[in-house]
Amino acid sequence: MRSFRHSKLFALNIQKFTFNFWITIALSSVLVLGTVGMAFAQKQPHGDIAKSLPATQLSSDKQADPSVPRPAPGFAQARVASNPQAPGAKPVGMQTCIACHQLEADHFTHTLHALGLISANKAEPNIPVCEACHGPGSAHAEKPTVKGLIIAYTQGGGTPIDVQTKTCLTCHSGGPRDHWLGSVHQRNDVSCSDCHNPMAKFSVEGAMAKMSINDTCAQCHKDVRLQFNRRSHMPLPEGQMSCADCHNPHGSLTNPLLKTNTVNETCYQCHAEKRGPFLFEHAPVRESCLNCHTPHGSNQNTLLVAPIPFLCQQCHTQQRHPNDLQSMNSLMTSKNRDERIIGRGCITCHANIHGSNAPAGPKFHE
Amino acid sequence: MTHLISHRPAQPRGLRGLALTVWATLGCCASLAFADTGIGVDTWRANKLDPSGGMQSQNCDADGTSWLSPLQRRTPTGHLYDCAHGAPLVHEIDGWLYYGVLQIGYVGIGEQNTALWNRYTDWRGDDLPILGLLDLQWIRPSDGSYANVRASRISSDDQVYQAVFGRAGAYKVQAFIRDMPNILSTDARPIWNGIGTSNLTLPSSLTPGGSTPDQVAAVSAAAPLTRLGVKRSKQGLSLSTYLTPAWTAYLNLSDEERKGTRPYGGPFFFAFAFEGPPFSLLDGGVNETVKPINDSTLNITTGLRYAGPQWRLDFSYTGSFYRDKRSAYTYQSPFTLSPLPVVPGAISAPLYQGQMSTEPDNDYHTIQATATRKIPWNGELSVSAAGGRMSQNDPLIAPINCQGVFGIGIGNLQLGPQNPMLYDCNSWNTTDALSRKTADMRIDTTMFDARIVLAPTAQWSLRSAVKFDRQDYRNVYLAYNPLTGQYGYPSENGAQGSIVPGEIGFFDPVTAPSALTRVRSLPLDIQTVDANVGADWRFSDKNTLGATLAYNRYEPTHRERTQIDTSSAKLTWVNRSLDGLTLRVNYTTLKQTGNTYTFDPYAFTWSKSLPGYVPPVTGVPVHTVDAMRKYDMSSRDENKIDVMATVMPRDDMTVSASVRGDWNRYDALIGRQGYDTAGATLQWDWQFATRSAVGAYIAWDRSRLGMSNVQDQAGGAGVDPAFGGSTYPRIGQWWATDTQRDWYAGLTLNHDIGRVRLDLNWNTLYSRGLTGYTYAGPTALAHPLSNQIGAGGGAFPAMIYRVNSITAGVTVPFTQRISLRLFDTYERGRINDWHYLGLDQSLVAGNRVYLDAGPRSYRENLIALLLTITL
Repeated sequence: MRSFRHSKLFALNIQKFTFNFWITIALSSVLVLGTVGMAFAQKQPHGDIAKSLPATQLSSDKQADPSVPRPAPGFAQARVASNPQAPGAKPVGMQTCIACHQLEADHFTHTLHALGLISANKAEPNIPVCEACHGPGSAHAEKPTVKGLIIAYTQGGGTPIDVQTKTCLTCHSGGPRDHWLGSVHQRNDVSCSDCHNPMAKFSVEGAMAKMSINDTCAQCHKDVRLQFNRRSHMPLPEGQMSCADCHNPHGSLTNPLLKTNTVNETCYQCHAEKRGPFLFEHAPVRESCLNCHTPHGSNQNTLLVAPIPFLCQQCHTQQRHPNDLQSMNSLMTSKNRDERIIGRGCITCHANIHGSNAPAGPKFHE
Repeated sequence: MTHLISHRPAQPRGLRGLALTVWATLGCCASLAFADTGIGVDTWRANKLDPSGGMQSQNCDADGTSWLSPLQRRTPTGHLYDCAHGAPLVHEIDGWLYYGVLQIGYVGIGEQNTALWNRYTDWRGDDLPILGLLDLQWIRPSDGSYANVRASRISSDDQVYQAVFGRAGAYKVQAFIRDMPNILSTDARPIWNGIGTSNLTLPSSLTPGGSTPDQVAAVSAAAPLTRLGVKRSKQGLSLSTYLTPAWTAYLNLSDEERKGTRPYGGPFFFAFAFEGPPFSLLDGGVNETVKPINDSTLNITTGLRYAGPQWRLDFSYTGSFYRDKRSAYTYQSPFTLSPLPVVPGAISAPLYQGQMSTEPDNDYHTIQATATRKIPWNGELSVSAAGGRMSQNDPLIAPINCQGVFGIGIGNLQLGPQNPMLYDCNSWNTTDALSRKTADMRIDTTMFDARIVLAPTAQWSLRSAVKFDRQDYRNVYLAYNPLTGQYGYPSENGAQGSIVPGEIGFFDPVTAPSALTRVRSLPLDIQTVDANVGADWRFSDKNTLGATLAYNRYEPTHRERTQIDTSSAKLTWVNRSLDGLTLRVNYTTLKQTGNTYTFDPYAFTWSKSLPGYVPPVTGVPVHTVDAMRKYDMSSRDENKIDVMATVMPRDDMTVSASVRGDWNRYDALIGRQGYDTAGATLQWDWQFATRSAVGAYIAWDRSRLGMSNVQDQAGGAGVDPAFGGSTYPRIGQWWATDTQRDWYAGLTLNHDIGRVRLDLNWNTLYSRGLTGYTYAGPTALAHPLSNQIGAGGGAFPAMIYRVNSITAGVTVPFTQRISLRLFDTYERGRINDWHYLGLDQSLVAGNRVYLDAGPRSYRENLIALLLTITL
């Protein structure tokens, strides 16, 4: 048993390089000692870093190991990313990156990206690891303090948002991200790395930037997340579902980034019993669930937009009982107690309000 | 004694059995879930013990994230990334590296058992230790293979098991099993036997159709506390694989079973209408019954995707198959029905049994194809088309389930010409009384979407899209009884016609040619066309301006308007020009109009559309007032603004703020007149050490909904639809305003003191809703007091929901591998909902019986001891 940071995975890959694992560690330690102080004093000059780097280990210098499986299809075509801000840069190989970014590499090692890229690199040395996402590293290695010479995915890193997203989409285009271009997040300059961070395991799934999808969305949409604390809500705070159950943040065919083509179709994913079509339909129900429900949370029962009976009375002014103004005189505590407002109010009788399949159900009584 | 209808142990079957097998084969459960943001749900499975699914038990790396900088990096927007977690302890066997964590312990809670506290979490659970987390990971670096098992179990109703294996970039196979509670009431007192079945019967101490409210109240008061809720048990399998580097395929299967009970209705006509003057009767029957839930849904999604240098293709099929094990449930009503004392000698049929249909089985299929091609000017052209069908053909239930007769007899209950308001149950309690035996309903859907995005220069981006949607109803149901030659249906289990002479709900061209009743279903075909065009201009490196013009034409059939046009303009500004600030501003203005508003488009579904209908001498009663504008059909002006700012005042600190507002004005004298929402949030995060962070937030939001309605003054027979006319005089107009305000605040602290880790989490919410009303005159009121004159108003008591929750925990590492976490959660929830005022005294009032007194306030303390072992 040993720390994953010094694990077999790391060692297996290091074997390919001129330096063996322990030498690398020793070198890294020296470099770390040298750079830690610099790290804490961020503005110290870095001009000599390039000279202290190990010799460049270009991947193409190496031979493929015939004993290992061929690269997985998803990584087989990975290439060094294009960085328009460093047009003359050349790839330097993972080893060079690790020389300075040892800790990042340690964290990265136990991610799915690392597993795929490193195993592919092992099978096919032309396949880059770090530089598949960060672009060729030579210019950055020579001038590490100049922003933009390496593709950075962090605030102030110097890489334009569209370069960041294009780089990710090199491998991740299509499917759920088919409509990224032109989506509201793309137009608001949101980057992939605003929500994802594949450099370490920050979440159990999805390489999220925060511990969960919901926490990630709440970085910007805190107001929406807080609505889920209200009296009636879907089980999102309880961890039983996520924002991405209904929304595709990568873009969709709808303005609110719904995963399906309509509001109702989205709701039917979990509430299939409401799909019908019923023998007797309730027009606003078929039109949109949002006519009566507010999906992110409500202080009314069952996510209702307004208290019953007033919710219903926004539309129903038919003669006789629907159009009466209910007041304090109608509550259970009054002598004029009225079932139209007590408890569940209207739907105590119109229980099948989403539609009725009873031949005697036009008014949703049965 | 508590009736735990939702605690039936789930039986392995179908997909669950298969999922169990996969899970067992792997050793038990998953990390990379279905998690496709493009299709389907199930993107996250965890529980309230750790909504992150296991990350809360991970420790931050004391070294930070980089040797080059002690600071945490930020997202491009400026939010601080979380700390990176420390390296796991790994083992190796045959080229596989593996590591894991096991967390087990006990949870202790108080004796309170409220639905609000337990809503989606079964803290009461069973007496077994809880499994906080089992997370096992295997990887084989040589080829990128991996497997993961993850599980968490609070109780048999609240548990999740996941398993995944695959090869990175090649294929992935996943399986999961999840049980989730949905507790609706923990203190219901149903008076019926057979809760959870499709046949609710009264106890022997009550006489169906012949009990007094006092007798019912006694049974209700003595009824055992019953827990009502639904358990969702879901299991799923999925496969995704690369066929080539460009082609991928996927298949997702899931099956969800819901079992349990929920509060429902049971109408035997009004009670309120008879208690007050002029009748002072106990009549009608309002039963809050218990609906049994026993259904399942099978979901299938499968597809092929291609992602090449020029083209992207996506072909998918989605199917959903809902099956309900019941088509209806029946219940006995305890209350006595009496005819209105307007006909001498009238007596009501002894109706006592009602029925409620459940949702029909339904099938859904849709296929969708998307083709996207890169085009000149760094552009993309994308075209999507979809076609679908949702259908159901459930066997229909009979219109009524009575025996004998229903309706009103004069002096006796003998069928014959002498009793024209008395009806034979045998003519209606059979499916032979229907125009067809099955529902045979279907909706076909079509969708076409085309969109183009061009970026001719680095500064400019242009886009446009058009989308066409349509849903077509393919059948109509006619409520015609071939046994009697009548149209319509027995209203409210026959109760309405057994109380009010002539209001049974039947149209008969011979005996009741003027009866107004529903005779046809309502097909709701819809066609929608959306179009938009927009541009984004990056006028500097750190500034982008965007504008979008959008148009929507919505064409529903059989609605108040057949054409609704909505135009909107949206402006977007993203600014990063100031160091340490990212600002996003969006503003939208929208105008909705439409063609002529028809206040009664539903005439064809009523008997007045049938041949042989004879208008009453006084005229055909109008459907509604002509000034009503239903809010989905109404003309409307909307203005909306959304501002988000992320400020980085220090390297280790972030302040996020947002302000939003949405103002809607409706062109409606009667109906919704305005709906405004606004809110603001302020959040502060400070990572003051590598493994220490503190955060706090405050937020506020508000909504205000204004509406108006008008009470008719014609007792249901009015023929003048004009607002201000004889049926709807202005003196009957009233207005209501519902204002909801929410205040939120919270604090989070994680800090290491030596080897001990402390965590603190406090959240509070105070919601206050106020519903007020005014009226032109007392006649607007349902129940005016005798001394009320002229205009007036009032308000309901504030609707309050207040929650204060604080969790304090300490984690003590004993060794490198073993640690103990102790935490305590104290939560107090207070609720005041005026709908339920007085129900805590008795659940029975007149001819009404309720299940519970609504959601209850609570004060709970939960203490948990969790042992975490690194495997």
